[in-house]
Amino acid sequence: MSTELLTALHVSYIQNLGNSTDDLMYHLTAHLRLNAIYWGLTALCIMGHPDALDKEDVIRFVESCWDEKAGGFGAHPAHDAHIHPTLSAIQILITYDALDRLDVPRVVKFILSLQQPSGVFAGDSFGEIDTRFSYIAVNALSLLGCLDQLDKDKTVEYIKQCRNFDGGFGSTIGAESHAGQVTVCVAALAILDRLDEVDTETLAWWLAERQLPNGGLNGRPEKLEDVCYSYWVLSALSILDKVAWIDSEKLTSFILSAQDTEKGGIADRPGDMVDVFHTQFGIAGLSILGYPGLVELDPVYCMPAPIIEAKGLRKGRFRTTCND
Amino acid sequence: MHGVQRVRQSAEAVAAKKLREQSKIREYLALTDEVLAKKAAEDWSREALGLTTRLLQINPEFYTVWNYRRNILLRGVFPESSPAEINDFLTDDLSMTTLALKMHPKVYWIWSHRRWCLENVPDGPGTDAEGDINGWRKINWERELFVVDKMLNADSRNFHAWSYRRYVLARMPDARSETAELAYTTRKIEANFSNFSAWHQRSKLLTSLWGSGKLEYSKSKEEEFELVRNAMYTDPNDQSAWIYHRWLMGAGADKEVLEREIAVIQELLDEQSDSKWCMESLVHYKRLLLQKHSSMIDVGKVTNDCRRLLRELRGIDPARQRRYEDIGACSIADHTMF
Repeated sequence: MSTELLTALHVSYIQNLGNSTDDLMYHLTAHLRLNAIYWGLTALCIMGHPDALDKEDVIRFVESCWDEKAGGFGAHPAHDAHIHPTLSAIQILITYDALDRLDVPRVVKFILSLQQPSGVFAGDSFGEIDTRFSYIAVNALSLLGCLDQLDKDKTVEYIKQCRNFDGGFGSTIGAESHAGQVTVCVAALAILDRLDEVDTETLAWWLAERQLPNGGLNGRPEKLEDVCYSYWVLSALSILDKVAWIDSEKLTSFILSAQDTEKGGIADRPGDMVDVFHTQFGIAGLSILGYPGLVELDPVYCMPAPIIEAKGLRKGRFRTTCND
Repeated sequence: MHGVQRVRQSAEAVAAKKLREQSKIREYLALTDEVLAKKAAEDWSREALGLTTRLLQINPEFYTVWNYRRNILLRGVFPESSPAEINDFLTDDLSMTTLALKMHPKVYWIWSHRRWCLENVPDGPGTDAEGDINGWRKINWERELFVVDKMLNADSRNFHAWSYRRYVLARMPDARSETAELAYTTRKIEANFSNFSAWHQRSKLLTSLWGSGKLEYSKSKEEEFELVRNAMYTDPNDQSAWIYHRWLMGAGADKEVLEREIAVIQELLDEQSDSKWCMESLVHYKRLLLQKHSSMIDVGKVTNDCRRLLRELRGIDPARQRRYEDIGACSIADHTMF
């Protein structure tokens, strides 16, 4: 167990992910490849190693995932376009300042075509709906500077209806509050300047109660802790300016205890197998907690803050103090 | 990757495993290439359908192949099939995904494919004039509720299964009554008070049942207080009941209920003097008294109660002490401070 972030090990773990082609799991997760590159690249940027991957190789791979028929990105060459890898492609290209390699009007058209009459977004043409996809659409359109083309009221209307009495949000109308869905809904509302729709005191209470005695965070009441909620819970708390409502030191120790101290990477829990998803969200959580030496992460976009700052898109930090 | 233990293996063991995997990888990649090539060639044949079955059994997360499978059915198979055959294909797909869910209960794509199957069940076996035009639909949708029951028996918190359950209940041809569903949540809660998913479902059902007048509001609400009190007394450290109790109390418009519940919780706290959730809830409800009923209570005393409880909470729940400080630092009755 380590009490320090093993940056060098994590950098080399991420660099080597693409070389695991002799591992069956590598092939079985091809449907997440573009997402995985975004997670890995973002973690590298937060650790201060933005050049650890071959930029031109990565950009060429992104281009090879383009689905010409649909006008969006699949997660892998020859896979169908879906809104999630499409966001990953945009995030990677923006991180590398290579948006000129993207057919922006076509991607915008693809994303807008997925909005349903109720205001929620579908993931692809087969129509699975989820507030995750609403966030992805809002995030992507905002990064592309095309938010003015979105029917914002309709988008907010659906998210509003997913709010529960505990202040949290679910995946669809009627669904139970879940920390992952809370983050996507709160971040979407932050981008749309509609945080007035959040019951901050109730939601921040519910989020603070996600911390367990071992310091880790769970995603719903009476569930187990998991490193990825270090991001899902923390980013929402950060947008609401309530990170101080949990114990940062204990959470930091919990994340660090889930590191693989030999080969790098971070797992869901101490002693489990690592993966790039938990590596990224563990490091993202540490950045929000102000871990020394890390680049600041923007909690709304889940990208390096300097990049979001440069685009003039910083949101959140809605600091209101008591009146008396 | 969730909950898979890291095992330290020797270099030899790792090398041997990799060697064993090589043939599996070759086989998997060959099958993938074949399927994707057929997809690119817009091959909507039954042979291609069979290949997607094989590939999805190995990797049910391969969303592109689910899409392809649906396109084969829609473009190649259904146009040359009778309604009865179409129904058979969809029933087969539902069975295939039932097996897949047992292995992979949290894969979005599998749940999503089931919805597509259900929504494409054709009219029949009868017609409007003769027999039941909704016969197949009824059979398939009824069976779904049974499948989702099984899934929730295996993991009573699986949020995919709960979402799917709500979807089925909302759309099945022979609607199931909300009171029957309420009874289901009672069973789930009585089996495990800690199942917040069931409490959540209950809050949605009751909102609807009270709104439509199908359940008498005040009587039913009293029964809810009874149920949740049992849960609070059974395990005062379990969040589920306390969160549900907070829903029942709402914005605290009813002073009598507020005071009664404060007394109930105080009694529990007297027995369990270090119960965080008792204290936390007392602060919340006393603040509601201050916000809504200040002209009818002893404001100084209730405010002091809150401050004392907040001090104690800081001691017993240090992880969240800043929250307790923030509540104490602002006027306790101010609901808009944050």
